[in-house]
Amino acid sequence: MAKVSRSRVAVTILAGIVLVLFFVTVAGLFYYRDIIRKLGEVQEEYYEEYPRLYAYIAEDPQSELSNRIYKDILEYARENDCYVEMTGQNLSTSYSKADRINIAISSKVDGIILEGDDSEETAKLIDKATAEGIPVVTVISDCIDSSRKSFIDLNNYSLGAEYGAALAKIGEARRLYPLTALILLDRDDGNYDDIIHSAIQESCGRSVLLTSGVVDTSTPFTSEEDVVNILDGLDKAPDVIICLNDRTTESVYQCIVDKNLVGRTEILGYYDSETILKAIDKGSVYATFAIESKTVAKQCINALNEYNASGFVSEYFSSNYIRVDRNNLSEYRAEENKNEG
Amino acid sequence: MKANFFANMKISRKLVAVFLITTVIAMGVNIFIYANLNTALDKINSVFSSNISLNTLQDNLNQIHTGLTGYLETKGTDDLELYYASTQNMNMLMRDLNNNVTDSSIHLAERDIRNMLETYLSTADEAIQAKRGRNIDEYTAKYNECSKIKDYLNTYIYSINNEQFKTNSSNYSTLINSLRYTEIMSMLIFLVASVMNILLIIILTNTITRPLTRLSAKAEEISQGSPENVEPLEVFSDDEVGKVTRAFNEMLASIKDYIARIRTQLITQSEMKEKNLLMETHLKDAQLKYLQSQINPHFLFNTLNAGAQLAMMEGADRTVEYIRNMADFFRYNVKKSSETVRLSEEIELVDSYMYILNVRFAGEILFEKDIDESLLDVHVPSMIIQPLVENSIKYGIKDLEPGEGKITLAVYREGNCCCIRVSDNGIGTDEEIIEKIMNHEKRPSETRGVGITNVMARLDLYYNNKEVFEMKSRKNEGTHVTIKIPLEDSNV
Repeated sequence: MAKVSRSRVAVTILAGIVLVLFFVTVAGLFYYRDIIRKLGEVQEEYYEEYPRLYAYIAEDPQSELSNRIYKDILEYARENDCYVEMTGQNLSTSYSKADRINIAISSKVDGIILEGDDSEETAKLIDKATAEGIPVVTVISDCIDSSRKSFIDLNNYSLGAEYGAALAKIGEARRLYPLTALILLDRDDGNYDDIIHSAIQESCGRSVLLTSGVVDTSTPFTSEEDVVNILDGLDKAPDVIICLNDRTTESVYQCIVDKNLVGRTEILGYYDSETILKAIDKGSVYATFAIESKTVAKQCINALNEYNASGFVSEYFSSNYIRVDRNNLSEYRAEENKNEG
Repeated sequence: MKANFFANMKISRKLVAVFLITTVIAMGVNIFIYANLNTALDKINSVFSSNISLNTLQDNLNQIHTGLTGYLETKGTDDLELYYASTQNMNMLMRDLNNNVTDSSIHLAERDIRNMLETYLSTADEAIQAKRGRNIDEYTAKYNECSKIKDYLNTYIYSINNEQFKTNSSNYSTLINSLRYTEIMSMLIFLVASVMNILLIIILTNTITRPLTRLSAKAEEISQGSPENVEPLEVFSDDEVGKVTRAFNEMLASIKDYIARIRTQLITQSEMKEKNLLMETHLKDAQLKYLQSQINPHFLFNTLNAGAQLAMMEGADRTVEYIRNMADFFRYNVKKSSETVRLSEEIELVDSYMYILNVRFAGEILFEKDIDESLLDVHVPSMIIQPLVENSIKYGIKDLEPGEGKITLAVYREGNCCCIRVSDNGIGTDEEIIEKIMNHEKRPSETRGVGITNVMARLDLYYNNKEVFEMKSRKNEGTHVTIKIPLEDSNV
């Protein structure tokens, strides 16, 4: 009898285990189906739609300055219900500026933000875009003879004056008279660099012996070669080198380090890349002039939005530079980090 | 209910049910996993579909451009047909491309491609129109523009293809990894389901074999002896085993019954043997006593015969009668001591005895007989009346005055019995003594001769009924001893 009841208990326990296993199997199958269903979800991505698309066409898409401006433009654009793409970026081929303008026109964007130049080709392309109903605003450099709708300028004259003041300060500090200074102009920028040049000359007068060199920044590798060639061509290294381009600034900084001229030749840079800020911290770069890129971005987007909305927009907007040197570097960085955050 | 249904199924059906259930479970799990795995494989296959469609788009664009180039070069109709067919196809393909501005780089590139394709197609149409208008400069310019856009498009398609390939490859590897995970998962499910099936088979086969095991254990128990202590098996099912168990229980009950009957028979037999032995012992005892007493009777019998002849020769008739009665009395003792006799013979013996005693006591004892003649042939054990008469004389009337003592012998029918009653008019017998006699507490040795106890014992053994003998008495009113012989046993 006891044997029978023991056997029954064993069977009952086994039946219980079978029941549990059955539920485990069923739950496992449902979980399995769930896993399989979720497999496809990795392909899904979340994105936001915008009613308008603008194209940003940089002089040099690899330039840090252009990327910084683009970043700020994109950020501001998204806040204002439009999207900006940097035409030619992430493509397998590096297209010329003209090609990138053509691409923007062919892809029927709602507006173009263009780093302008004086060339006739660019002007023609701007006219073509305008003919297609695409408004073009120029930024940093203008294209005067074109049908662009607006120009967002960086106040180059005041920048020249700032450079001049910095030169005067260096001259005073070093008690050098006349102070030799080399200004490296961008080949493509034309008269904007000339404005800076003349503003420096005007503010310094004869206390500075200002010479100039032209650097080709149209392709990624030429600026560094040009800088080296220019410096090698000089009998004596200048007391100050003024750079009007971020890549030129970094190239000059590297060249000064390589030629062991740190301390003897001061650099007045352009733009606030991390390399340049570090060089200021080390004392290799005397000062740099950072663009108020957020202001520029805001002006670009506002100009295009205003034109699209009303058909009219102011032809000229202006923004200033910020001088960054060892004295205000930490404050500037803190401010930048705050903005980044 | 379900368990009973299963329990009552035939064994062959039970086995089929066990295999069916487990097979169906295994198959179900298999099919489920297979179907889901197929879905997963479809998803994996669709991962690179975007690359495939982009390649189709690019091939189609190249065909349009070939058609356009051919038409502009030679104005060939085949080229134009190719151009239109490809354009139509392109319009279909373009529908799948995104047309919205989004912050997804791939979607944006798709939008650019779509718009550039539209620009390309409209420019190409313009070129064809210019060709028809034979405006060389215009269609050359449009063709160059088309070539440029085609170049951009190829670059875009190539780039987006690369970008998508990267994303798709990443998705693919994620999917493959997930698939490995699902493989492990499916293995686990299989494992659990298999364990479940094994347990299910164990339980169900146990349900089938357990009654058989119990049955065999019981059979072994019986084979080891003492089946009467074996309890019948409980029947749980109505299948073959249930039927066998029921039959087994019936067989067990039959065996128990048979054994009980044999036991009762043995007990009866041994009781019978015991009875026979006791009877023999009593007879032997009686015989011994008689033999002891017959030494003289034999001698006396022969001597008396000689005395009778002498008396006859001398002409003493009463003496002859007396001696003959004595001789008859002793002859009867010698002859009939171990047999049943007819009642008439027993009465004759009493007559002889009474004659002798009356001669001896000079007719002092009055002897009366009331005999139903039809009962004279009834067979009775020998020597049952004379001891009673002797007893009555000895203990009943011995203290009476001469001539007052009276012995009455009555033989009559009462119901289905032949009653023999010996009565006296003596002093009677104490209740105590009667009780002792009836309970056999008074030993034969306490009486002289063949005592009343011996008669009772023999009658008990012979008729197996104590009620055959009855003794009644009242103070100073005599004693009545009655023997009731059942007529069916008396071999009339």
